[in-house]
Amino acid sequence: MAYRVARSISGCFPAFLTDVFWTWLARLFNRRLKKELSANATDKFLEFLLRGMDRGFSISKGYRKNIEDFKAGYVFRTADKRVSTAVSFKDSDMKVYEDEDEIEDWDVRVTFKDSAALISFLFSKNQDIINSLLANEVEVDGNLNYIYKFGFMARDLVRRLPFV
Amino acid sequence: MAQIPLNDLSPKDCDLTERVSDLRKNYFRAVPEICIERPSLITCYHESHGLFSKKPISILDKAKAYRYVLEKRTAIVNHTRAYEKGMKPFKVKEKTLFAGSTTSKFKGVPLFPEFLSLTLWPELWTISKRESNPYHIKKSEVKKLNYNIFPRWMRYNILELARERSIEEKRKSGRQEKDPPDIKLLERLVFFLTSKANCISHTIPDFSRAIEDGLREIINKADKKKDKTSDGSEKEFYGAISEVLEGIISYSKNLAKEARALARKEKDPARKKELLNIADINDRVPELPARTFYEGLTTIWICWIALHLENPNIGLSLGRLDQLLYGLFSEDIKNKKISIQDAIEMICCLWLKIGDHVPALPDASEQLFGGSGSNQAITIGGVNKEGKDAVNDLTYVMLQATELMKLRDPNLNARYHPRVNDKKNKKYLRRLCEVNINTGATPAIHNDMAVIKALTAKGESLEHAMDYGVIGCVEPGSNGRFYGHSGAILLNLTSALELTLFNGRHRHTGMNTIISKETGDPITFKTFNEFKAAFEEQTRWLIEHATGLNNLLGRIHQDFYPTPILSALFEGPMDKGKDLVQGGAVINSSGAAIIGLADVADSLSAIQKVVFEDRIIPFSELLHALETDFEGYEYLRKRLMNPDKTPKYGNECQAADSNVLWLVKLLDSAFGKKKNYRCGHYRVGYWTMTNHAGFGRLMKALPNGRKARENFTSGITPVSGVTPDLSKALNSVARLPTECLSNGVALNLKYTPHDGNRASMLKNFVASVKGYFDKGGMEIQFNVTDRKKFLNALDRPEDYLELLVRVSGYTAYFKDLNPQMQKEIIDRTEYELSTGRAIPYDPIPLPG
Repeated sequence: MAYRVARSISGCFPAFLTDVFWTWLARLFNRRLKKELSANATDKFLEFLLRGMDRGFSISKGYRKNIEDFKAGYVFRTADKRVSTAVSFKDSDMKVYEDEDEIEDWDVRVTFKDSAALISFLFSKNQDIINSLLANEVEVDGNLNYIYKFGFMARDLVRRLPFV
Repeated sequence: MAQIPLNDLSPKDCDLTERVSDLRKNYFRAVPEICIERPSLITCYHESHGLFSKKPISILDKAKAYRYVLEKRTAIVNHTRAYEKGMKPFKVKEKTLFAGSTTSKFKGVPLFPEFLSLTLWPELWTISKRESNPYHIKKSEVKKLNYNIFPRWMRYNILELARERSIEEKRKSGRQEKDPPDIKLLERLVFFLTSKANCISHTIPDFSRAIEDGLREIINKADKKKDKTSDGSEKEFYGAISEVLEGIISYSKNLAKEARALARKEKDPARKKELLNIADINDRVPELPARTFYEGLTTIWICWIALHLENPNIGLSLGRLDQLLYGLFSEDIKNKKISIQDAIEMICCLWLKIGDHVPALPDASEQLFGGSGSNQAITIGGVNKEGKDAVNDLTYVMLQATELMKLRDPNLNARYHPRVNDKKNKKYLRRLCEVNINTGATPAIHNDMAVIKALTAKGESLEHAMDYGVIGCVEPGSNGRFYGHSGAILLNLTSALELTLFNGRHRHTGMNTIISKETGDPITFKTFNEFKAAFEEQTRWLIEHATGLNNLLGRIHQDFYPTPILSALFEGPMDKGKDLVQGGAVINSSGAAIIGLADVADSLSAIQKVVFEDRIIPFSELLHALETDFEGYEYLRKRLMNPDKTPKYGNECQAADSNVLWLVKLLDSAFGKKKNYRCGHYRVGYWTMTNHAGFGRLMKALPNGRKARENFTSGITPVSGVTPDLSKALNSVARLPTECLSNGVALNLKYTPHDGNRASMLKNFVASVKGYFDKGGMEIQFNVTDRKKFLNALDRPEDYLELLVRVSGYTAYFKDLNPQMQKEIIDRTEYELSTGRAIPYDPIPLPG
């Protein structure tokens, strides 16, 4: 809720204040994100990433520009449904659903073996993306361009966090 | 046509001029830069003219969009800045002879959001830092792509339009599917690739009318035809032709204007004169007929740039330039307007211009299939349409330029007719082999007799067949009239084998999912013929899906991506009044390239011998060995790999060669029965680019003893390390029926460079090619670099930046190849020509 409020008022802030927010967000998330992006990723990675994105959209006008006029539905899940989340973007807002069935329709659905595979897929550091392909650890259904955009937004978030 | 006698076929006193040397140095120094000019302009036009909501988009709308891009793009005569390793800028003083470039950058990466450029989206912030072939991009360019360009195309690129169309069609037939099965197979990566999602390209335009008549004359003809016809779609087509050609003329005139502006500021009188000359030439051509060799080359270059704005350049090829330009060349030489040295310098400058861009590849593609240029083939030599010797002085000039430059692009292909070309003297083939020795990798050599036979077998007239040019890697197609998209499908044949071995399942996609048909558990097969029947069914299933998807993508091209520029420069569309994608060309086929022929053939032979004939092991045990990647089955693997115990293709062994023959005939017949979206047929070829390494990396162990993730064998070449005798290897390949190989083959051989006795090496080199061609061999290409040098280049890539290698079809710089592909090149069988024997080697370990 606090982030929704932040979003509504952040437009009035000058740019340097947005940077202050980023620093604040980075401090808040730094250690956890580092851990989640490392080999110690847990099932919470996705939740953590989505929360980070949501807060990023709330506090940063520049980051929020990514979802201006963007309407899309995403489903992320593990094959065994241990993790099952949906995300929608509409009217410059992001909404996270706790279960994929809660979303009406999706444009892209990503089924992944585990969080490490998802991290490799989204962040494709070095050769990880190849390894995830080799191991057939990630399957994407639907319009791939949506996942490319999501990949950009995820990396853009990490790039904006000064201490990561 | 009178020939100018070129006395010295390889002039020893000819070296790179200072201009070319400087340009070449910068070419190697510069890293590619992403160029957003074209995507910005095309997106802007689509938005402002409502094209994003038009379904379908007419050819006239598309033509107006391309005219807009041509008129608005920056006219660059001299590039002044480039970036080097570490993304540091450096100054370029480009004193080229040809104005214009395919992108706004010195070495550009053009983007086509209509096709697959959005795959780069996640990497935009990191692409300049990636390990493999990084691209420079400015912060402002990332933002523009992210906010203004890519989002507009998310639902409008070819693949997504095809997905949407397929879903709609299925819905109409009562099936609800979010992901069409053919597209799903494509996205699973291991079955086939259909390149129409990326472009069509893969053809040779007809530049002859642009050179001989000029574009204005083509516009006049189009206008007359437009007035004459009452057919609405024909009117639209001819209107589109005029639009794009006016755009090309405007672009050339803009370059002329810029050259004049630069000349005004230029202090060096020699360069000032050159710039004014460039301005005069670009003012005249390509609008009007070319009168000189220089104008002819400029015409080709400007049209080439325009073609690149329409379609991503993958295998778009220039054709028989030594035939096309010989008249202008010989006139200029005869009238002493230019010297041979001048001609060589012009060709060198054009070669560098042709290589001024690289295809955009995301990291994953770079790692699986990377290292390729745009595969722009040029064809020289051979016979003409009448079957007479077409080798001329310009053929030798182009060979000389290639030898001096040692560049990846263009991909030089030499035609050689054994009964015609060396009738007068024996110098031509000798020179081709000599250039191969000197460059280490080029040109590829094609046997005219075999190729012409293959093309006529597919219904081409003898005249058209004799006028073939080479497309992309090695694919033959009648010059300027064959719209064959020769690289439409890349089929991983080992996946058909996999589906047979595991009864419709694939280890890569998981053994719980039935991918294709259940053709029976091979454990229950009583005979080898039962296994072959199952394999045939799986192969046909795979072909059905690959051609189905190619045709769907073709229909999307018809509705959204007509090609007025290419159609204007082609034989057929102007007469038929329709675009190439609608079947406007004289010859309309589609091409498939097969990956893994030798691996599958040897696997079939292994199953036949070990399981069914000698009954060494039951099928169940073989499957277990495959599932465990031969862990605990080393004895079996040794047997399977041993050509003395298990028949191997490439040893003149009847049992093995008959399996290859069966495969080649099966594929030709199965593909040949399929019709494409332009009512043409499919042709089959065996060239693999880097895909045998990419697919190999994704696939598990095979019955021929190949372990998981190892490379497959390139092109039509026998498996590395199992063919010790060069003559036998050549004979086995040469025996394959050329009429089944009409989409071209790449036979990759590695010869040890001469060790002091150059003359003897050259003699044996020539003999090996001649012997192979005499037996009916179709194409042959070489790496003339030894293993030691490759290993050194692996250790110290910075010392071997220019090391040119022949991959499977095209040439590449060894340093640009991914580690898996580098291993494949290093581990290829190397033959010593003095003995004709393979040099024993231990394969290097698989990269991590």
